[in-house]
Amino acid sequence: MRIVGVVLALVGWLIPVVGLTITQSTSARFILALLGIAVTLFAIMGVLNKAHLKNAIWKS
Amino acid sequence: MKFREGMKTVCLCAAMLLLLMCGLGAWAQSQAAPAASAPAAAPAPPPAPAMDQPLDVKAAAPPSTDTLAAQGDPGGTSTGTVSDVVVSDTKKGLTLADVVNQAGQNRIAINLVWTLVTGFLVMFMQAGFALVETGLCRAKNANHTMMMNFMVYGFGLFAFWVCGFAIQMGGGAPYSTLGGAYSLNSEKVITLLGKPWGLFGTHGFFLSGATYDVGVMVLFLFQMVFMDTALTIVTGSCAERWKYACFAVSSVFMGAITYPLFANWAWGGGWLSQLGNNFGLGHGYCDFAGSGVVHAVGGLSAMALSMIIGPRIGKYNRDGKPNAIPGHDMVIVLTGCFILAFGWFGFNPGSTLAASGNGALRIGTIAVDTMLAGCTGSFGAILYMWLRYGKPDASMSGNGLLAGLVAITAPSGFVSTVGAAIIGFIAGVLVCVSVEFVDRVLKVDDPVGAISVHGTNGLWGVISVGLFADGTSNYGGSWNGVSGSVRGLFYGDASQLVAQLIGVGTLIGFIFTLSYVAGWIMDIIIGQRVKAEDELEGLDLPEMGALGYPEFVLKPETVTFSGVAAD
Repeated sequence: MRIVGVVLALVGWLIPVVGLTITQSTSARFILALLGIAVTLFAIMGVLNKAHLKNAIWKS
Repeated sequence: MKFREGMKTVCLCAAMLLLLMCGLGAWAQSQAAPAASAPAAAPAPPPAPAMDQPLDVKAAAPPSTDTLAAQGDPGGTSTGTVSDVVVSDTKKGLTLADVVNQAGQNRIAINLVWTLVTGFLVMFMQAGFALVETGLCRAKNANHTMMMNFMVYGFGLFAFWVCGFAIQMGGGAPYSTLGGAYSLNSEKVITLLGKPWGLFGTHGFFLSGATYDVGVMVLFLFQMVFMDTALTIVTGSCAERWKYACFAVSSVFMGAITYPLFANWAWGGGWLSQLGNNFGLGHGYCDFAGSGVVHAVGGLSAMALSMIIGPRIGKYNRDGKPNAIPGHDMVIVLTGCFILAFGWFGFNPGSTLAASGNGALRIGTIAVDTMLAGCTGSFGAILYMWLRYGKPDASMSGNGLLAGLVAITAPSGFVSTVGAAIIGFIAGVLVCVSVEFVDRVLKVDDPVGAISVHGTNGLWGVISVGLFADGTSNYGGSWNGVSGSVRGLFYGDASQLVAQLIGVGTLIGFIFTLSYVAGWIMDIIIGQRVKAEDELEGLDLPEMGALGYPEFVLKPETVTFSGVAAD
């Protein structure tokens, strides 16, 4: 799951970066930037952090 | 009704008559002005003095050295004269070229001294961080926490000297305010999808060769102390359970690779700074003094490592409910906050890298913006805590001050005092909300709140440039190679906000991930966390071999929790 989280976080970063070359519209780039941030935050908080909480020291 | 209509007509006619009279008057004035007679032929200007011809120094009436030797100069009216201008050829004497060169050197000297002195202030912030972090940790870990903050200076500096500076600034020349630093002219650029993407610099390893240069040295010192600020942030969130050896390796990696990479992209001429030139996004990613480059990099790396290391024993019950683990000395925490606030006068105003030319006289505005944001940051935090919990909380008030300072760091060169006050206040509230979120929802243990102060508010600072930059600054007529002044959404440029958001995405998507992967590998190879019995005893003896307070009798663990019992 950690690898999935890492890959997803990188994908979230690349969405707005690649989007720069696809569209010249400021509004479209704005939406892609927000989308990318949302994907990365989900990867960090929803995937990576969850994987760590599964084996948290306070659960043992 | 008829009366109203009548009055309307009368008023309309009166207005038209008035306009006609004004127009007539203006026309009459223009007609009355006599035609200017053709000017007499201007006398030919005297020939310009040749740059290399000797000047008549006696005409400047330099003071006699015999008189100065006999009487001194108590009023300072005879010190600093034409006699002090450096002469390149003593046989020829003073020339216009000498005077012009001296003016140029004076400008660069002012800028070098300014940058150095502000860099010294930032270096002193290490003491502030050390006090804040140690005070917020338990006494049994005081030596260990202090030693992390002490040695991060050396580990980071060494890594930066070896390769970090070259990666960060190796391709960013010219730095005109510091004399050029022209040897920093090699950036690794790749062409992708038809655009150039600067990735990292390649000149300046060990500060050798052509980078053994006076301007480069000043730039190195200033950038190094910023880098060290980012590194020391991580020590706070990982305190009380981090192996000292892992801290050392992590710091070297961060000073050599993680920090310099993003700093190159933002400040070294890399792709983020060129978003304006290449893609028309405002002035590219703008980060005046490092909310993103320094604080968000540090805060996000701190979060990555805190997740990997895990929470302190006793921080969470078996049901996931968090327990407060108070620090041992609020006096040094708030003293540390003051030291940081003082050092921030170097952090933000110093980022002009100049006090002469290139719009550098804005240093006063930047300093006031910095003060104000810190002030309103503490207001936001103290208000939030007082209203929510019934008491003004000392540690959160300190963190509120720091959050305001972190948030203003990026926009400080571009915003008004009103903007600064708003940014700071929001930061003060945001840090409190973020601490609760990280602690209770994410269940990531952060003894000092570094993730919220630096990570969350570093990102807020980056975004606030895209909102509040007011277009009044002028640093040589351009920023990041795009002419004009930086302007945010509220002042007419939405594309600047997009550039900032791409910076935010890079910070959380790339920098966090890089730190996470590096920390994960280190955990597999070395193991990041200390043994449970060492953690419960306190890291001072097992890790450092000596107590921070050897004459104090430390009380046994008093945090009540269900779960692992402390002996």
